[in-house]
Amino acid sequence: MASDSTLTKPRTRPLRPGAAPRAPGAVVALTGASSFLGANLIGLLEEDDAIGRVVAIDAKAPSTAGKKTRVYEVDLAEPGSEARLAEIFAAEGATTLVHLAFLGSPTPATAWVHELESVGTMHALVAARQAGIRKLILRSQTILYGAHPTNPNFLTEAHPLRASRDEPFFADKIEAEAEAARFAERTPGATVTILRTATVMGPTVKSFVTKYLSRRVVPTMMGFDPLLQFVHEVDAIAAFKLAVDRDIPGTFNIVGDGVLPLSTVIKLAGRIALPIPHPIAETLTQLGWMAQLVEAPPSFVPYLRFLCVADGARARDVMGFRPAYTSREALLDFVSAQRLRDVKLLVESG
Amino acid sequence: MSAKKKTPVAATAKSKAKPKPKPKAAPAKVEAVVETKKKKSIRPRAPARPPEPEAEAEAEHEHEHEHEHEHEHEHEHANEHDDANVAEEIRALEERLDRLIVEAGGKGEEEAPPSRSLSPSSRDGGDEQGTVFDTARELLSTDFYLRRWGRLGMRNRSEEVDDFGYDPVYDTRVRPVFDFLFRRWFRVVCDGIDRVPSTGRCLLVANHSGTVPYDGVMLKMAMLREHPSKRDVRWLAEDFVFHFPFLGSFTNRIGAVRACQENAERLLRQESLVAVFPEGTKGIGKLFRDRYKLQRFGRGGFVKLALRTRTPIVPVAIVGGEETNPLLFRLEAFSKLLGVPYVPITATFPALGPLGLLPAPTKWHIRFGEPISTEEYSAEAEGDELLVGRLSERVRTSIQGMLDETLSKRESVFFG
Repeated sequence: MASDSTLTKPRTRPLRPGAAPRAPGAVVALTGASSFLGANLIGLLEEDDAIGRVVAIDAKAPSTAGKKTRVYEVDLAEPGSEARLAEIFAAEGATTLVHLAFLGSPTPATAWVHELESVGTMHALVAARQAGIRKLILRSQTILYGAHPTNPNFLTEAHPLRASRDEPFFADKIEAEAEAARFAERTPGATVTILRTATVMGPTVKSFVTKYLSRRVVPTMMGFDPLLQFVHEVDAIAAFKLAVDRDIPGTFNIVGDGVLPLSTVIKLAGRIALPIPHPIAETLTQLGWMAQLVEAPPSFVPYLRFLCVADGARARDVMGFRPAYTSREALLDFVSAQRLRDVKLLVESG
Repeated sequence: MSAKKKTPVAATAKSKAKPKPKPKAAPAKVEAVVETKKKKSIRPRAPARPPEPEAEAEAEHEHEHEHEHEHEHEHEHANEHDDANVAEEIRALEERLDRLIVEAGGKGEEEAPPSRSLSPSSRDGGDEQGTVFDTARELLSTDFYLRRWGRLGMRNRSEEVDDFGYDPVYDTRVRPVFDFLFRRWFRVVCDGIDRVPSTGRCLLVANHSGTVPYDGVMLKMAMLREHPSKRDVRWLAEDFVFHFPFLGSFTNRIGAVRACQENAERLLRQESLVAVFPEGTKGIGKLFRDRYKLQRFGRGGFVKLALRTRTPIVPVAIVGGEETNPLLFRLEAFSKLLGVPYVPITATFPALGPLGLLPAPTKWHIRFGEPISTEEYSAEAEGDELLVGRLSERVRTSIQGMLDETLSKRESVFFG
């Protein structure tokens, strides 16, 4: 932690509104700066000369913060965060807000998640409007389309978000998207970019999906083999960088090319599939979730049965986003890294 | 002189060996390690695209060549201390890694990979008990399964599916079964198949029949076996077929796609040949007494689709499918529980169990009608309800006409 503070500017610097020197170039504020996407995006922004300053906001400081980055420790889930954020945005002269304060994996602490994701987004956006920020980039996920038997093979951005609202993991993120839409409506001249990423896969990212695929025995639904889609972590970060660099309002699916059947995914990962009859799967998952033996609550079971694959054509045509890795390559990249980690674990454990 | 000569070679050998240690015992196993290392060095700045499959194979060849070179170097400079040390170190590391990988399966205390320890014991043992024991041990070792079904084994098998889940390799593997059904079981006769264009988008509209619908697959086989272009047919399957356990993923891998406008439109825009059954579930669920009476054609979705994408429609009549599993009664009591629209009661099902769903060896005729062009209509014609209704009816009468004609000529259900 000591080395951290030498890296970054003093975190509890008293705020003097207007006193901060107006740096040339854009001032980008990031919430959820310590998240996987946030930390990596800061690294990219640090290197970009067009970016004057990066304002990193999170409950804990990101490790990637460099010279350009000012770190503020604000917890979005706290009631007073709104005013504090507005103050920070105004003082730093932020022009762009990248809102990444979302959890990557479901957690049993649903009340806190609601405060962070749904209410926290509201706080951040209200503060942004007060501070006159005109550009908002919001992180969303294609998982929010929901896995339904009636889904077409490729879901476009026009498709409604139909993930189960009973699951706070989905409901709060859908609410956050609605919040962003409201921001776009009420703020004249605002550029709101919503990036719905597919499951982010790669050597360093960690989420419930990577945990699921790191199990020795991977539960699947007997007789079902849905097609899955991934986006490589590098591509996902590049998409956010692209959205920061350019003004592209709208919603975009950020996905890798190609799809993989779940069975192939498990084979490529070198795991063993454990088929479970689907009528009892939800009950088993519920029990496993309560005992914290499985990665996700029962509302994720449909994703092992039905399709939830998004169409990346709009991001390609309108945004100019070209994923460098296909779904398969992203998965293989994760698998090779995971394999090394497995070996390392064996070495360390004797 | 020797010192002059040696140092650069040693340096190159070192530099070559250090960044990417070449696997010796098991190249495939350490390959992953090398890959990630390469990628990691690139990652922070520019995301480099990993090599294409072919390129990868070439790279592997190169690795092998480099291998040989390294061996040569080692022989030449056997007295070189540094060189030998590095090589030794790498070998030791690789051996350790190999052992770890083998042990990773949970076989804790095995000293060497079972394949190596196997051969001597079976040679000097010789008795039957020893061989059985060894075979059992090999079967029990995780290495055996890793080689066969693990990631390494699977990597070489193509498991590529296209965007809609069609797996060409899997399809070729199961094709003999459908070939048998097409040629020997149903003895399908095609008529006017050359009316289907060889290239470009096209919509085949057919009647749907049989409690277990084989007509999609048979249409696909007809195009593959009888049509000069051997075009692939993508047919749209009802939801309940598509999401039925096992059956759904199976039909998906051999080319079926869930029936919905978005999917059909996407396929047609890729210039594919798409088969639709507008009768849908009502077509499959026709009772035996209603056979070959076309059911309602929905809201004419397929016509709207054709108009929107400017696709010619080829009406298709399939005769023979209705008698494969004559449906006597539809039981709707457990339908919700089982995820099907109804439970079929045929002469043999459920009396004979799953065997009762095997199709009767009826003689099939597939007739292709005159294509109906949609070129002359504008893109807005889709909204013209009257036109949609008229075209839909035209296709329907065309199919019904062909059905009636074929049926009147048919003398026997089983022999045509």
